[in-house]
Amino acid sequence: MDDLKDALSIFKKDLLQEWRSKAVTVATVFFASIVLMVLAFALGSNDTVLKIAAPGVLWVALAFAGIISAAQSYQNELEENALEQLLLYPIARSSIFLGKLLANWFYMSLLGFILVPVTSILFKAPLGSNWWLILVVVLLGTLGFSIISSFYAALTANLRARESLLPVLMFPIVIPILQAAVKASRELMTDNNPAIVFDWLQLLIGFDLIYFVVTLAVFHFIMEE
Amino acid sequence: MPKQPMWLNVYGFVVLVLFLLGMYLGLVVSPPDASMGELIRMIYAHVAVAWVGFLAVVLAALHSMLFLWKANFKDDIRAVAHAEIALVFAGLTIASGMTWSKPTLGVFWDWDAKLTLTALLASLLVGYFIVRGLIDDPERRGRISAVVMIIVMASLPFNYMAAKWFRTLHPAKSYNVDATGLSSTMSPVFVKILLFNVVVAAMIYIYFFIQRNRIGQQEAELFEKETELDVKGDFIHV
Repeated sequence: MDDLKDALSIFKKDLLQEWRSKAVTVATVFFASIVLMVLAFALGSNDTVLKIAAPGVLWVALAFAGIISAAQSYQNELEENALEQLLLYPIARSSIFLGKLLANWFYMSLLGFILVPVTSILFKAPLGSNWWLILVVVLLGTLGFSIISSFYAALTANLRARESLLPVLMFPIVIPILQAAVKASRELMTDNNPAIVFDWLQLLIGFDLIYFVVTLAVFHFIMEE
Repeated sequence: MPKQPMWLNVYGFVVLVLFLLGMYLGLVVSPPDASMGELIRMIYAHVAVAWVGFLAVVLAALHSMLFLWKANFKDDIRAVAHAEIALVFAGLTIASGMTWSKPTLGVFWDWDAKLTLTALLASLLVGYFIVRGLIDDPERRGRISAVVMIIVMASLPFNYMAAKWFRTLHPAKSYNVDATGLSSTMSPVFVKILLFNVVVAAMIYIYFFIQRNRIGQQEAELFEKETELDVKGDFIHV
């Protein structure tokens, strides 16, 4: 229980820091909207193409923005050696990971909630009567994504070339997440078949659970300085 | 540098002979398949390297776990040896899979489940070696790369599911023409030759593993001696 409390205080600290600097919010929101615009231009003006591409575009924008947010959350700690201070506290290493994970998940799901209606309008892919299901998809998809991104951001925080290394390492791992999230979103945005959405949600839940356990178990190995 | 032991030379020679025998069985003895024709001969090589490649990843992850548990550098060296061979075999699997895919399906790449999985595995292994290349301290390098390898293995079942469902949630049976889908309908002569080739591929793998392990241990000894000299004085690096 104490570990959870420690994790929550790190989560609060990250949120407070973000509230004061607004670095991640500005970077991710603008970056994600630029990605949407670039992809809209790249795909052309055919409405059917835009509609089919909408779920993929949504998750590509979210994934790119999520990398920025994860990298930033450890970048902040590297300045003024704050990470060493953090490691000196008498708390479990996994609490640090859990706190960072909660913060990243919070940013990413918020960004997802903003991007879903924007993508739906810009790419002419209206959400049907089951629109609330896409919020579940965003929550589960961004959870899996932030587990991997927070973990690999910690792993690469002390390495050279970390900015380019983070996406190289984590994208092959999050392929199933992107896959399941895009398929589920596509059902909701174009075909509207909630039964298939639940199949994909099961994959997302399984992925989230297994990676949560695995990363939590091995996190202290990558933070032993 | 210690001399290569005699038994290793003998083993290497035996493996070479068996490899040539496997090629002979696949290229000459094996009759052409009813549906695939002469292309069945490619399956012997393709399936053999694919299976052994995935086995190598599992062994690399096992040695990575052992390293994290016991902190014995021999396990780190073994994990690297397994991972390097896994990368080579994954590359061979992709190359042979694409060569098989062109005459049968008409395209080099068709996002077939197992081909996609192998491509993802190859990129994950490349990431593992990039991480290793960026860390100089051997203890930290072993620890962090072991964690990466464990995550790589944990991701394989998910990547397989994702690749399988890439096209649709319920893929059509006729589309699923590959090694395991085939084996149930294979006649015994094909199965025998295939298994022979798999065993030979595993033996080649063991030979490479022993060699790579020896090199890795000599590298570690060299590194140790160099750091010892560094401590005594810097007259070596003038």
